[in-house]
Amino acid sequence: MPSPQTPPIGSTALDPTAVRPPIDDAIIERVEPSELRARLIALKREGFTMLLDIGGVDYLERKPRFDVVYHLLKLPPRVSSVAEIGRPERRRLLCGVPGEDARVPSVADLWPSADWAEREVYDLFGIVFEGHPDLRRIQMPADWEGHPLRKDYPLRGPARERTPRPVFANKSNVRAGTPPSGRTAAALQRQIALARGQVPPVQGEAK
Amino acid sequence: MEMIPGQSFLLGKLDEVARWAQSSSVWPLTMGLACCAIEMMTATAPEYDIARFGSEVFRASPRQADLMIVSGRVSQKMGPIIKRLYDQMADPKWVISMGACASSGGVFDNYAIVQGVDTIVPVDVYVPGCPPTPDGLLYAVNLIQQQIRQGGRGGLLARA
Amino acid sequence: MSTIDVPPPRKLEIVEQSGNEMVVSIGPQHPSTHGVLQVITQIEGEVISRASPEIGYLHTGIEKSAENLFWTQASTVIERMDYLSPLSNALCYFLAVERLLGVTDRIPPRAQQIRVLMAELHRIASHCVWLGTHGIDVGALSVFFYCFDLREDILDLTEAAGGARMHPNYLRLGGVNGDLPEGYLARLDALIEKFPGRMADLRRLLQKNPIFQDRTVDIGVLSLEDALAWGATGPVLRASGMAYDVRKAFPYCGYEQYEFDVPTRTEGDAYARFLVRLDEMEESMRIIRQVRKQLDTPGPVMIDDPKIAPPPKETIAVSMEALIHHFKIVSEGVRVPPGDVYQSVEGPRGELGYYIVSNGDNKPWRVRTRPPSMYHTQLLKTLTIGELIADMVVIIGSLDPVFGEVDR
Repeated sequence: MPSPQTPPIGSTALDPTAVRPPIDDAIIERVEPSELRARLIALKREGFTMLLDIGGVDYLERKPRFDVVYHLLKLPPRVSSVAEIGRPERRRLLCGVPGEDARVPSVADLWPSADWAEREVYDLFGIVFEGHPDLRRIQMPADWEGHPLRKDYPLRGPARERTPRPVFANKSNVRAGTPPSGRTAAALQRQIALARGQVPPVQGEAK
Repeated sequence: MEMIPGQSFLLGKLDEVARWAQSSSVWPLTMGLACCAIEMMTATAPEYDIARFGSEVFRASPRQADLMIVSGRVSQKMGPIIKRLYDQMADPKWVISMGACASSGGVFDNYAIVQGVDTIVPVDVYVPGCPPTPDGLLYAVNLIQQQIRQGGRGGLLARA
Repeated sequence: MSTIDVPPPRKLEIVEQSGNEMVVSIGPQHPSTHGVLQVITQIEGEVISRASPEIGYLHTGIEKSAENLFWTQASTVIERMDYLSPLSNALCYFLAVERLLGVTDRIPPRAQQIRVLMAELHRIASHCVWLGTHGIDVGALSVFFYCFDLREDILDLTEAAGGARMHPNYLRLGGVNGDLPEGYLARLDALIEKFPGRMADLRRLLQKNPIFQDRTVDIGVLSLEDALAWGATGPVLRASGMAYDVRKAFPYCGYEQYEFDVPTRTEGDAYARFLVRLDEMEESMRIIRQVRKQLDTPGPVMIDDPKIAPPPKETIAVSMEALIHHFKIVSEGVRVPPGDVYQSVEGPRGELGYYIVSNGDNKPWRVRTRPPSMYHTQLLKTLTIGELIADMVVIIGSLDPVFGEVDR
């Protein structure tokens, strides 16, 4: 059973794209934060009409610490049938972001789908997207401290090592000593009494 | 309550009558959070039909509901809202914690999930399962009805 | 006496305020939002001038939990994201991990067929919930009962194969957990026979109903350009004219061998999305009929590789290697070679994708979900402007978000 509180294994193969060739059909590119916007604008002009997703990865001991991953899909910008779409091209842009002063330009003006995706990466990793119209937490409460998906953030959260004792556990609705009611409970009581030999079985009843 | 033979009326204590009425029409609040909510909806569907036990309608407004079925995982953002909804419900009110996540945090022992809704509101019946089958939820509603009839919260002088 | 202090309601920012404008917070507890969504609307009378959806009320930390579980255990939490079609999530996750392992070609055909069968059954089940709740939102209460009755048959089939109605954890790394039980195919045949009649009922109830058409035609019109820019996929994109279906574009699990169409419309309104999903249910049944014929041929349902899949339980008593492999897999997990992969499937909501990073360990390093519903929920910011509040409910229903997936 893996213990959820042991720290993650670091070091081995922390930059997976450097280790082996890509194994899905996306073309992978690595960009610096400074060239990110120019590259994405160029790709959008090339026909990558859809930004599928923006995700973050925390590599902890690698320099740069974070990766912000952009998934792009080239769909034709007009009504198309299955045959016309064929097998669209996929791109994956990996942008390495340093751990201290994690900032990346926002692309929410290029693709509106980036809006919430960037807010989520900010919320869970702490990477600031410069130029984002409304950068605030999206999944965690507004006053939450810490960025949960970072590898040095404990699984159970900052304060809790053990689950707290339920506050209302002793407040029962039923008065203590009330016998159970209902036909099922009565039948169960009778079965127990029969098994203990406290009552004789009636005609036709099993022991 | 007892029926006098030969007469056409019932004799009983007012409190018992009130409890009989309350237990026969427990109206739940629509508090569907996650997967358990789908099983809760299935409990209203034809195969399981919670309406035959008196829960004919699910009320959206907490002022009009008696029973809060916390069906699903309670996240950090949702916790204060559940407390506020519970406070808004009128007495007498009951709470069913449906599913493993609501009862104890379930599969999710992490930063994001409140480990048991009984840290926020008092719970009367816990239903285990992930998600529990609608039969389990129906049995829980039956247990609440039993609790009402036997002398738990409820009755004429209904206080928390 | 409680541990939670109820904070005062947030002050909401109001951009411009004329005499008639009001800010109303709808949700997160509301019957018509299909889950825990809060929409802060700025309205003039009944017309929405600005809508700001707020999510995060169901944030579960699934991605963080998955990083602390073995590769095979992580599917238990991942199944609980899109809880209306749990096996789609598990399918996409396992396809991605199998790609990382390099064993995609060695999955036995019967396992692929069962996976396709489960995926399509869950697509129909998910659309049943969508149609039932959409009907309730619009006011058509009977549709709910018809849909959930159909869903019961599918849940019975899932329980027979996997052991639980929802979240059966039936798919495993390398195949499925055990073959279909005896009598299963007969029950599947019964469902296949019952289905066309039930679909005809559902269509008869709503498709030509003038009230339903009044409430959905020309509501929430999404142009193709907007759909692409906002990242819409699945039925939402197909109702706006783009026939993009991951099963056709990037086939997985043997989908290239099945004949099926991809229903598409061009109007882009809520009615078009309704029609697309109904047609999709019928296409799913078409695929199920083809899979059913293939399932008559017996075969293994798990990959024959003891490093990935535990050997059958019966062999443990007689084979030392089997016992050792079983022990190692259960106590240490499977080691997946380092790498990153993006795998997507066509879920009932749209393109469900997983970007998985492995560092060679027995636990995932990162599991990032590409949640289709999150991008659809964002669409509410544009689609509701100028519509009535009652229409907002219809639009949310037609986009069909599931908040387990949006918030994870």
